Amino acid sequence: MPKCLIDGKEVEFSPGENLVKVAKRAGVEIPVFCYHPGLSVVAQCRMCYVEVEKMPKLQTACSTMAAEGMVVKTQSEAVKKGRQGTMEFLLLNHPLDCPICDKAGECDLQDNSFGHGSANMRHSEERRTYVDVDMGPVIQKNMNRCIHCTRCIRFGDEVAGIHEMVAIKRGNNIDITTIDGKQLKTEYAGNYSDICPTGSLTLKDFRFKKRAWMLKKTETVCEGCSKGCNMEIQHEGNVVYRCVPRENLEINKHWMCDEGRFNYRYTQDESRIVDPTLRAPDGHKSAAWQDVVATLESKIRGGEVLFLLGTDLTNEELSAIREAASTLRTGIKIRTFGTLGVTKTSEDGSADNILKMKSKTSNLNGAEKLGLEPLAGDAKADTVIVFRGGRAALPRVEAKWSAGVGVFNREEASGFDSVLPGLAFTEKEGTVVNHAGIGQRISRAVRPKGTCKSVPEVLMSLLNTKSKAGQA
Amino acid sequence: MEKLLSQKFYQAMNELEPRYPNKKALILPALHQAQAECGWLPPEVLAEVAAYIGVHEAQIREVASFYTMYNLKPVGKNHLRICTNVACCLRGADDLMSYAERKLGIACGETTPDGMFTLSEEECLGACTTAPVMMANDDYVENLDINGLNDWIERAKNDR
Ligand code: SF4
Ligand code: SF4
Ligand code: FES
Ligand code: FES
Repeated sequence: MPKCLIDGKEVEFSPGENLVKVAKRAGVEIPVFCYHPGLSVVAQCRMCYVEVEKMPKLQTACSTMAAEGMVVKTQSEAVKKGRQGTMEFLLLNHPLDCPICDKAGECDLQDNSFGHGSANMRHSEERRTYVDVDMGPVIQKNMNRCIHCTRCIRFGDEVAGIHEMVAIKRGNNIDITTIDGKQLKTEYAGNYSDICPTGSLTLKDFRFKKRAWMLKKTETVCEGCSKGCNMEIQHEGNVVYRCVPRENLEINKHWMCDEGRFNYRYTQDESRIVDPTLRAPDGHKSAAWQDVVATLESKIRGGEVLFLLGTDLTNEELSAIREAASTLRTGIKIRTFGTLGVTKTSEDGSADNILKMKSKTSNLNGAEKLGLEPLAGDAKADTVIVFRGGRAALPRVEAKWSAGVGVFNREEASGFDSVLPGLAFTEKEGTVVNHAGIGQRISRAVRPKGTCKSVPEVLMSLLNTKSKAGQA
Repeated sequence: MEKLLSQKFYQAMNELEPRYPNKKALILPALHQAQAECGWLPPEVLAEVAAYIGVHEAQIREVASFYTMYNLKPVGKNHLRICTNVACCLRGADDLMSYAERKLGIACGETTPDGMFTLSEEECLGACTTAPVMMANDDYVENLDINGLNDWIERAKNDR
């Protein structure tokens, strides 16, 4: 492999790699704004200046390809002055309102200003100001903070496949907005906020909710569909504040869809059932765990019993349920459910040629690999027990007695005779297999709500109740 | 969609096309031609140009708003564009601008109610040697001073 020299360190590179990437491997961080590894290179912010031997002027590292024997300096006086100059220009109009800006703490502008800017400001002229633009349910734009890096425009054009962000006018009068202030159409709008290197494109869902540095971060996988986008749950004090994509070049690159990003909301919705319930003549009543477990156990002792497993459950949960079913009794039928019209992986496929898949559950492939069969038609038996992660679309159930184990809201629960509340994807560990057969771990970010119990716990108490009943 | 631009526009474009390396390069002449026809560039016309060139409407908007020579709002019969860039600024362009604003009773960027005058600010017109400069409709008025500006406006007024 060819080599070049960055700040005196020898680094190997593959032809076509730019200096930002190569330097990173050598442990040298070059500050950038307009460059993003998932977007085309435009070299317009001039933040990434480096000095390249034998070149008369400073070069932009994002648009300079490494070459054999190239000698690059990222810390020379000229580079420092160049970056400082760029920072000064970028801040000419910036409101410097970090104390009330959601991006503060994870802001490239803040970091680069701290690392490469000057502590003093020479200009005292008036700053240009704009009114905020409401860009629909996901994004609110604060143009005062924008540095015109055009990442958002390129994201729309190159990734989301829609040229909806535009640069209107030029120079000091430039405005980065949507055409005529229209609402954003893409179903991937949350990414605009992630890639904006300033607090200009704010995520409405997160605005003014939490300071970024207070958030704890848990790496996990989205449960929104069979794509299995890698994401991070950001939470504090047992509350999830937002989900953001994690880079995985094989699966979701740097992005995720809005459906997946905001999917976490149902896990902390007030309508979620978090304590066990039993049907009473006048609706559902909360009941003690041991009573609902005992009732359930008695209901599966005789008659025709069907266990329905959501393809939103993890591999571990699916196998545990299957194993427990065979121990509980012979003849319990097991079928899976998940997305209407997508019951097998052969019916799955890309929904929009970006990320979204047709299967709206994360583990269809895993369930299929375990040899579980999908439900065909309605769920009909004397007793039907539905195990569900929280996202699988409930089929119509026809039974003398039915129960739901897992995550349900009040409305969904009304269809069952009993609900045994379980853990949402933010509250448990496990493995899911995406559409391409890649197995990935999901991790627990927050403690379960109410008295929710994991699937293994419910199964254990069922088995215990049965053995006690047997001894009696 | 009903076409707003005439047959003449499309003919002119067909003649120009072979002179350019690709169709995108035709954006600027197409906008000029469209503006010559309509006087300004309303959104529907921009959309039609976008459809003709084969790019997204947004890209045409970006180009049309980048250059000050394209009018995105209707303009009056006389369009005065006063250069306020460095050289002209040093030679008194700001005074000329405020004089014009007072004389016409409008702010920069506006049009008089009778539709006679539109006043705009222009970046360097490339005639710094004869600064300050104003572009009045299609003509350059160089070495401009307040008297000259006053005369020009009076003449235009009487020229109805
Ligand atoms: S809104 Fe953000 S991403 Fe878009 S140009 Fe401005 S700073 Fe860049
Ligand atoms: S594409 Fe699927 S896995 Fe990816 S974020 Fe959206 S819902 Fe989640
Ligand atoms: S990151 Fe290189 S010029 Fe913007
Ligand atoms: S600055 Fe006015 S023409 Fe150049």
